[in-house]
Amino acid sequence: MKSMDLSKSEEKKFLLDVIEIKKIILSMIHTVQSGHPGGSLSCANLIYLLYTKIMAINPENPRWDGRDFFILSKGHAAPALYAVLSKIGFIDPKELESLRQYGSQLQGHPVKNNDIGIEISTGSLGMGLSIGIGCALASKLDQNDKKIYVLLGDGELNEGVIWEAAMAANQYKLDNLIAIIDRNGIQSDGSTEEIMALEPLSDKWRAFGWQVIEVDGSDLNASINAFKVAKETIGKPSIIISYLIKGAEVSFMENTKKFHGRPPNDEEYLNAINELNKIEKDIISGAFN
Amino acid sequence: MTEFSLRDTFGDFLVEYGKEESQLVVLDSDLSSSTRTFKFAQKYPDRFFNMGIAEQNTIGSALGFAISGKIPIVSGFSIFTTGRAWEFIRLACHDNLNVKIVATHGGFVGEDGSTHNALEDLSLMSILPNMRVLVPIDHIELIEMLKFAIHNQGPFYIRLPRHPFPQIHESNYHFELGKPEVLKEGNEIGLIGTGFGGILAYQSAESLEKELNTSLKVINLSSIKPIDTIELKNQVKDLKGIIIIEEHNLYCGVGSLVARLLSEETHPIMKFIGIKDSFGQSGKREILLDKYGLNVRTLKEKIKSLL
Repeated sequence: MKSMDLSKSEEKKFLLDVIEIKKIILSMIHTVQSGHPGGSLSCANLIYLLYTKIMAINPENPRWDGRDFFILSKGHAAPALYAVLSKIGFIDPKELESLRQYGSQLQGHPVKNNDIGIEISTGSLGMGLSIGIGCALASKLDQNDKKIYVLLGDGELNEGVIWEAAMAANQYKLDNLIAIIDRNGIQSDGSTEEIMALEPLSDKWRAFGWQVIEVDGSDLNASINAFKVAKETIGKPSIIISYLIKGAEVSFMENTKKFHGRPPNDEEYLNAINELNKIEKDIISGAFN
Repeated sequence: MTEFSLRDTFGDFLVEYGKEESQLVVLDSDLSSSTRTFKFAQKYPDRFFNMGIAEQNTIGSALGFAISGKIPIVSGFSIFTTGRAWEFIRLACHDNLNVKIVATHGGFVGEDGSTHNALEDLSLMSILPNMRVLVPIDHIELIEMLKFAIHNQGPFYIRLPRHPFPQIHESNYHFELGKPEVLKEGNEIGLIGTGFGGILAYQSAESLEKELNTSLKVINLSSIKPIDTIELKNQVKDLKGIIIIEEHNLYCGVGSLVARLLSEETHPIMKFIGIKDSFGQSGKREILLDKYGLNVRTLKEKIKSLL
């Protein structure tokens, strides 16, 4: 299959945007002193990739009929979604600092708001895949070419209804449904394998009839190609198991449950921003990667 | 008296309405022969989705259909649908989505027993903001309610019984959301019934009036949420007492709702007939209704206590 690799300059711009998004995420969470940094940083690059390189959207109109659907089933990554939506122009950047505060439309977990591109409320884990199935069935009925993207947390797979949905997507051969697992390996109370083992995860999904694509989520071109494979798959739903890092790119937030649901204090925030600034410089100078 | 299966009415309605409403889709959780959605499935196989024995995923998928512009009608047994999938229903209400739940086997189911009874569903549904909760008293009202639900945006819960109900309304009956419907005028005691409670009140009112030398007003409270409180207050304000009758747990049931609405101002003394904090048991429906106090005897005692 022909790969769809980005040019070096495109890749550089993408990586710089992701760093900017991560700074926004941390700033929002730090300001309100509440939120989930770990699972927002893990999938920020993935959500940005979806909105900029994968999904059909209209930056001028979040309600555009021809749009693909994105459902953030792991709703606690709301800061990542909000930051991306501001970057692509659906949310006014000035609104971001209102995160989680009284009167804000940017609640702690996303609330349906088609004016800013949020299709449905999420946050109670396990619900997004079933919703995606309804969307995918509706698209089939309407014979449109809409794709439905559902981002799942790995801990979220503990929920039984995920597996009800896994059966149904296979039953109805929903090749317009693409689920992505943020496989960062850590949930609120610890490692996913310690709390409620998921492995062998790809075998499970294959056994449920899904096309399974495993990818290093930090590899941009590999991720793009994973989506290409998923989009071209016919007759079955696809799931991309994206190996990502909880708290990615802030060293002391990486691979720990510590920052799953706790905000950085002032010192941690400054250290995190310094680290991201350093990565930014390295990307610009070409030293990154 | 001729009785009509509301389940059959529902199934036939879907077939008929499926023709003119092309956005209608129907979802079921492997109970389509019981809920009668199989009739729609036979006629419109492309718009019928059997989601298997998985109520959460069934309602979850309905949410997806709703945000895609469809009008999903979900059916199943009351207790499984409202209980197992409650949080998905909460999300439908949270986002005010166009999901219509039409559940059968509300109240006592009969021989299947306590695990299958739904004596809690009205409470589970009424507590959700944006939800409209309707209980038809007969098949005529059911058709009106189904049309209303389909033509009005947002979530609805319509509770159907497993067993047939007699016809109470004329065929030209028009349903009004929230309106307590006066089935029979009277000026001393009010009997406010939901579902079977309304039937019991309506069918026994005349003989009880004669026997107890009183005047009974009968109100069909088929719209549990919303309730037009001003209208309800007007209907009962001159009465000496009212009795609220429901085939539901008395805790957080229709009686509780009515009591809360009326209690902020001077109001008639209220008495309640319903299931006294129990899951019920197996048995013929008429025996269950009798044993759990939904009978003329209990109604008579309550009326006497108010006179």
